[in-house]
Amino acid sequence: MDTSHLAEHAGTLGTLFASVFVVATTTMRTMIPLRVFGILANVVLIATAIPSHNYLTIVLQAVMLSLNSYRLHQMLQLVRDVKKSVNSDLSMEWLKPFMTERRCEAGEVLFYKDEKAEDMLYIVSGRFKLVESGIELPVGAIVGELGMLSPSNMRTQTLECIEAGMILSVSYTKVEELYVQNPEFGFYFLRLASARLFQNIATLEQRLAQQAAHAAPKPA
Amino acid sequence: MAGVLSSLRYLLADFIGDDDDEPPFLPDGLPDAVAPVVSDAIHMLIDYQGNAYATLYVTRLRRFVGRRDVNDAMLGEIARLMAMRMSYQDPIRVAQLKLAELEVGGAPSHDVRRFRFDELIGALPAVVAEPVLDTFEWLGWEVRRRVPIRFSTRSRWGIRRLKIEAGLRRWRLFSVRYAKERVWVERWLHMIDRSLTKQPRAASAIVQTATMVQGHGDAYRQGLADWHAIIDGLAKPTFDGVLPLQDLAAAVAEARAAVTPDPRQAVLKRTIAEIRARALGADANAAAG
Repeated sequence: MDTSHLAEHAGTLGTLFASVFVVATTTMRTMIPLRVFGILANVVLIATAIPSHNYLTIVLQAVMLSLNSYRLHQMLQLVRDVKKSVNSDLSMEWLKPFMTERRCEAGEVLFYKDEKAEDMLYIVSGRFKLVESGIELPVGAIVGELGMLSPSNMRTQTLECIEAGMILSVSYTKVEELYVQNPEFGFYFLRLASARLFQNIATLEQRLAQQAAHAAPKPA
Repeated sequence: MAGVLSSLRYLLADFIGDDDDEPPFLPDGLPDAVAPVVSDAIHMLIDYQGNAYATLYVTRLRRFVGRRDVNDAMLGEIARLMAMRMSYQDPIRVAQLKLAELEVGGAPSHDVRRFRFDELIGALPAVVAEPVLDTFEWLGWEVRRRVPIRFSTRSRWGIRRLKIEAGLRRWRLFSVRYAKERVWVERWLHMIDRSLTKQPRAASAIVQTATMVQGHGDAYRQGLADWHAIIDGLAKPTFDGVLPLQDLAAAVAEARAAVTPDPRQAVLKRTIAEIRARALGADANAAAG
């Protein structure tokens, strides 16, 4: 029995079905549904290409399927990590996969006070000092996470490398991209930034209270 | 249609170097005596690069407006020298100036400027310039050799070429050279800021060090190297508290007097070493006595 016409009809139907997913993909406004629909379109197009032995389409869609799956995994992981961070130690480690590595030599200045802030930094190794206050930042410290949300967008101190080391950096543009692409990430990012801000305020209040206690006159 | 074009311009803004910012206003609280200098600088920087670049100038200047120990004369000098440094001379600027001469009715002329090869390539966007410079270095080609470039308004082709070169300003802020100039200007401003905090008497001398870095080619490189030698050898250690220089202004003046057009900086380095030795010696004597 000749089954070639069946394969042809299946191919036409499959292409039609896949087209619906392709159109649906283009209508998605945010990244996670876009990737999900992209994956569905890839699967249907692979299934359609198998009966007609269209190997080029199979290979192309398989590559796109892997890419879409990887990006979806990355997005879901990001949301999960930010969510976890909000509920635990307020760490910003979840940003690491999106950061680029940079080596710093002793004496190198990473940014100057009052300069426009454009990126967030994560200290991996070496020693770094805030010049104006003389405070040394520990390994694992994040610098400039609130600068992105501040209206003035200016660095408040100068950061100098005093012993060669490694930093990771991510531009505010990249974080903004993640924010826009993924509303759930955006929501938890705002909660995390607010929590870190409140934590800073609490520390300052505590210091003020301590100073006031020291300055208070002792009872006669 | 206008909306679609506007969206397309926005989408390609980074690529076509579109600058849709508004021109900046003079900073609040700017003394009247300084206003003409700042106003001229804003107009010049709009012409040099665009409104956003002029806004960056105003933002940088605002750090010193109304600040204690910064009088009108010093603020005027910061404004003037910062404008000078922010309008550094690259081949794009030379082409702009040449075209401007023609616009104001100047006679057609022909100039030959000598740029270093890495300086020419460095005026291109980093994404293009870095691989080119890396390849040249890998091939062992001398990137420091000087190349004569003609800037001519005598022929239609010459004017067309100048317009193309001047048009490269759209990508100037993505260039290797701009990244270096930005760091330099920020470092200079940072040194002024630290001087005002640690040794206000030396602030004017630090402001004036900007005049060391001028022009293009070898003179520019030499000036830059001398500037870094003085700042790294005298100013920074004084502000960091590791060099007990009581009169930094005099030390900077002494070091500047020792600047010669010597790429090895032998005299300058020796003078800086002597100043340091004197300061450390005086401090040791004071501690002992």
